[in-house]
Amino acid sequence: MGRFVIRRLIQAVPTLLGILVITFALTRLSPADPVTLIVGDTFGITRADRDRLAEAYGLNDPIPVQFVKYLGKVAVLDFGNSFYYHRPVMGLIAERIPNSLQLSLAALFVGLLVGVPLGIFSALVRGRLPDHAIRLVSVIGHAVPTFWFGLLFVLVLGVQLRWFPIGSMNAIGKDGDLTDRLWHMVGPVLTLSLGAISFYPRVLRTEVLEVLGQDYVRTARSKGLREQIVVSVHVLRNALIPVVTSLGGILTILIGGSVIIEQIYNWPGLGRLLFEGLINKDFPLIQASVIIGSSLLVLSYILRDILYALVDPRIKTR
Amino acid sequence: MAATAQAEILVRPAEARRASAGLWSDAVWRLRHDPTTVAAIAVLTVLVCLALGADLLAANFFHFSFSQQDILNGYAKPDGNDPAMWLGTDQLGRSQIVRLLYGGRVSLFIGVFGAIVSLSIGLSIGVSAGYFRGRWDDVVVWLVTTLNSIPTLFLLLIVGFLFRLDPVSLAILIGTLGWTGITNFARGQTFALREREFVLAARTVGASPRRIMLRHILPNILPLMIVLAAVDVGGIILAESALSYLGFGIQPPVPSWGNMLTAASQFFTKGPWLVYPPGFMIATTVLCLYLIGDGLRDALDPRLRGAK
Repeated sequence: MGRFVIRRLIQAVPTLLGILVITFALTRLSPADPVTLIVGDTFGITRADRDRLAEAYGLNDPIPVQFVKYLGKVAVLDFGNSFYYHRPVMGLIAERIPNSLQLSLAALFVGLLVGVPLGIFSALVRGRLPDHAIRLVSVIGHAVPTFWFGLLFVLVLGVQLRWFPIGSMNAIGKDGDLTDRLWHMVGPVLTLSLGAISFYPRVLRTEVLEVLGQDYVRTARSKGLREQIVVSVHVLRNALIPVVTSLGGILTILIGGSVIIEQIYNWPGLGRLLFEGLINKDFPLIQASVIIGSSLLVLSYILRDILYALVDPRIKTR
Repeated sequence: MAATAQAEILVRPAEARRASAGLWSDAVWRLRHDPTTVAAIAVLTVLVCLALGADLLAANFFHFSFSQQDILNGYAKPDGNDPAMWLGTDQLGRSQIVRLLYGGRVSLFIGVFGAIVSLSIGLSIGVSAGYFRGRWDDVVVWLVTTLNSIPTLFLLLIVGFLFRLDPVSLAILIGTLGWTGITNFARGQTFALREREFVLAARTVGASPRRIMLRHILPNILPLMIVLAAVDVGGIILAESALSYLGFGIQPPVPSWGNMLTAASQFFTKGPWLVYPPGFMIATTVLCLYLIGDGLRDALDPRLRGAK
């Protein structure tokens, strides 16, 4: 197992390098002037100042030299100062990550808790009304834009009915109050988990149906086992593997979706930080959020693969 | 339960017989007997016609152009008497229903054009990687892994921030970033197909790799690719609307379903009716595309029926 983890970590290196190449290349391909990107365009600076800044930031060096220097800085997590907050970008991001993780872990939990049983149930009652209902809901959930669902939640349940708070993490003066925090989390977590809730029923239904047709299920039935035992022992254990394998797509939705969900619910996480950076034209912040967000995704892919290897030991030898 | 399943199989009526008339003809025949898919195609056709006829409808029926403003009449509530006011007006007094038609034109165009781009890139990269394997395949796998490791919306946002995007370049951009799923599929299929006898036979008679890929492998994976493309159009419409909603996709005054929601969400309390229609249109369009994708898959490959 140790060797598998190490091999998987080494495999992540080229991916991380690729992420850095893409984020670096984008800034150099952009028609916007790098000096403007770095210092912002809110104050007028003279031609001579610009040249000095370009020299100071090493923008006159050949591109490969610039890239190596950039790598060196990223390696020690130095993304420079935020142009808007005048603080190191990494500090800002570190403050926001726990807030984002709260949302995405809770959404993952809710998604699994609702989506997986629905899929299994749907397969077991296939062809009957509940099956059709679950499949319909899951296709609709797939097609509804998450941000629109969030907007409707805020508009109807927050603004018009006033059942739920419409933004931020805590009511004023209630920092650290757990019930209040959970209350604020209902909307964003539900919206964020919509993807998983509509995705898992589809995957699990297919898988359970496939496993139900296997020879070992027929054997279990023919030796007279009760249907509950057949389902819980023989079917579910084999059908649950795709829950782990399809985590990749879900994680992408959770991390990518954070920008839009945190924006709607005014949740101070990494996604909202990225959005603020875009609005304030705070380039160091934008670049760092994209890199850190992607690295989190790479890390969660590694965790997914380790989990997969634990569930299905055959994978280790591949 | 096993017994009832058996009984169902026994009493199921025999499927209507029809002489096989080739893949496409059979597929069309099966599609016509699938009410969900037929309904989805009908709804989507209506939506496409409305979007294409936006100019005609705006000039002759609504008598209101999409950019026509009437500031004094902002946030007018929906009113059944004047067609242009059926869905009310936005903060600038523009007709919501007319803008919805034009927004559909933009969203559908980006979805279709973006899917064409991602299908062309995904197919050529996927088939060639699967066929040639070796170094090229390693590069492709690396590229796919890397692109999949950057949250799509993050990447789109940073590009939307650095470049000013019109609908055409936005479609190309989303297509250029979204080909990985198609590549993975095409690559996997090609891996399996290149070991088959007919490919070996083609190689034995001296067919070039180009000919083998285009004439022998591509036709075998194309049907399922069309299914993926239908689903892809839906995914791209969702991505575009999210990007435009955040303000980094289609820029006003060009209406898109996404950027219509930006304005609507800023003035929730004044015009709540503006929030429903654009999202409903996105959801309906994408739902139709997904249902058509499912239906097409069943029609083109009946072995997969029931496995959805």
